[in-house]
Amino acid sequence: MEGLISGFLVLADPYLLALLVMATLGGVVIGALPGLNATTGAALLLPFTLTMDPVPAISIMTAIYCSATFAGAITAILINTPGTAASATTCLDGYPLAQRGEAGRALGMAVVSSTIGGVFSVICLMIAAPFLARAAYNFSPPEYFALTLFGLSMLASIGDGSAIKNLIAGGLGIFLALVGVDNLTTVERFTFGSYELYDGIGFVPVMIGVFGISELLIQAANLQIVREQVVMKAITLPSKADYKKSWRTIVRSSGIGTFIGILPAEGATVASMIGYNEAKRWSKNPEEFGHGAIEGIAGSEAANNAATGGAMVPTLALGIPGSATAAVILAGLMVHGVRPGPTMFTEQAEFAYAIFWSMLLVNILFFLVGLRGAKIFARVTLIPVQILWPTVFVFSIVGTYALDQSMFDVWVALTAGVIGFFMRRYGFSVVPLAIGLILGGMLEQRLGQSMVMLDEQWWLMFTRPLTLFFFILTALALFGPALFGTLKRRLSNSTGGTAE
Amino acid sequence: MANLPKFENSRFERWLAPCVIICFCSVAFWISTTFREMPPILKRGIQPADFPQLLLITIILLTLAMMVFDPIKLRENFNATTAGSLGLFAVFGALTWIDLFLALGIFAAALAALWGERRPRILILVGAVMPLVIFLLFDQIFEIRFPRGLLTNLWYG
Repeated sequence: MEGLISGFLVLADPYLLALLVMATLGGVVIGALPGLNATTGAALLLPFTLTMDPVPAISIMTAIYCSATFAGAITAILINTPGTAASATTCLDGYPLAQRGEAGRALGMAVVSSTIGGVFSVICLMIAAPFLARAAYNFSPPEYFALTLFGLSMLASIGDGSAIKNLIAGGLGIFLALVGVDNLTTVERFTFGSYELYDGIGFVPVMIGVFGISELLIQAANLQIVREQVVMKAITLPSKADYKKSWRTIVRSSGIGTFIGILPAEGATVASMIGYNEAKRWSKNPEEFGHGAIEGIAGSEAANNAATGGAMVPTLALGIPGSATAAVILAGLMVHGVRPGPTMFTEQAEFAYAIFWSMLLVNILFFLVGLRGAKIFARVTLIPVQILWPTVFVFSIVGTYALDQSMFDVWVALTAGVIGFFMRRYGFSVVPLAIGLILGGMLEQRLGQSMVMLDEQWWLMFTRPLTLFFFILTALALFGPALFGTLKRRLSNSTGGTAE
Repeated sequence: MANLPKFENSRFERWLAPCVIICFCSVAFWISTTFREMPPILKRGIQPADFPQLLLITIILLTLAMMVFDPIKLRENFNATTAGSLGLFAVFGALTWIDLFLALGIFAAALAALWGERRPRILILVGAVMPLVIFLLFDQIFEIRFPRGLLTNLWYG
């Protein structure tokens, strides 16, 4: 309780408030620009936070996360191009509504449902994260190892890659984490005598590379896309009839989004898809979906914004990122010397609650920004790519250099960018690579500690109930989709193809 | 490059990625066999090579599984602009040896031109004004000292 109040009081700092307002505006711009998203925005912002204290640094990164996730809806509705992948389902009904001259109504619903979803998830974060941290406080290395393994196994179902490709990308990320001096034995691994590799490969240059620089190369193939903006008079708050139609969807999607966000490695994109599908499934008029159903926008937007707060739960309480952007924020925490995990709520309670309160404030801020400024922010989509992407590149390179004032980091970012581009070209998602890089060292360290604790009898891990529980979850995450798919097909065959 | 026959290109690239991954993992595995073995009292649970080897074998097996169950399907052919942008990365890398900001300016202007920008004022904005503003921002506000080079020497003296 003390941390809750002192965390709130931290927000009384005018400097922090001004930073949060600027970060919210910046996040809305980033989210509205096709190709840029919350993850890239947070990665590019990270070097700018180096001179700041941890609270403002992490607060503005979370502000970018929340506001950019919302802002994807602006371009989804007005130009039929999701600003972020999490807004892809918003296009389905938002753009048809805009074409019918109801862009203001669609954006109004997007703003309201995003805010409700976001606020709901932050309240859940405030309640759930300390409880989860308290539960994890007594975990010993085998439990932590199994939990980290479970977090990594969730990579199988994220991003736009297939399960096998996601796991390969995650594995390559873990491999990168092993470069450098082994913490347990001080043996140099894969350093090739280079002193720059002695401390390992930095998280931030890799993230700037795979999320920012690789996107530049992806955009090079999309130059022919012409974006036409639908005319919008003014944004309007939803009518009584719209609220009546959508409130159940908003509540349901807020819950779904928060839950999906809490699952390690799952993020707003998965949440919005499930939120949208559930909205359609429970709707009295499912045939309207895809043709301008206001519930479709509510279902998608409430879920994707709710996932932001949810994703911060495992990030702060366990040190396991809940999404790609949360992985960048986790890297930011590490760069600023903050150790996420169960001890955060006992040793740095004020810091943790200050982050929660700032997220809550940002959700209210983007409500105001969205209502008043959506029309203006929609214009940023008209910035020519010939200006935008060279600028992103210069910021990426200078920001990477500024981290450690090291040209080696610049080469790492460039190499990661090129590798990230080819990975995406061949159908691999780069998100597992980033998460694998963050969790790789932790995984090996906890395996080593477990082996010491269990006297090198690894099979004893299966005799510990909680460890076994996480292993079962890991197996379900890895093989569940294939298993359930086979069962579904067999059921379908046995019932003559009628089973859904 | 954009006119290359799609099928040929796809067939080559479909096998390229798994082969690169398997070769990379095999070489890394071989390197890991050269890691120093720790005596039992110092090994702290696992040998330095154990975890990397376990991981590399897993990646190789997953890659083989991918080749069978989920082969790479290319969505589009390699675009000339993308190839040109990649080429500019190499130019940027080479120019950084002369000066980081000279390299950034040339890269930014050349990328804008490659992507179809022809207006000189925009090319100057992207290639000169924008890198200069970013340099001053980091130099004056964040107090970052950039590596010395042809242009930065003019500022640092």
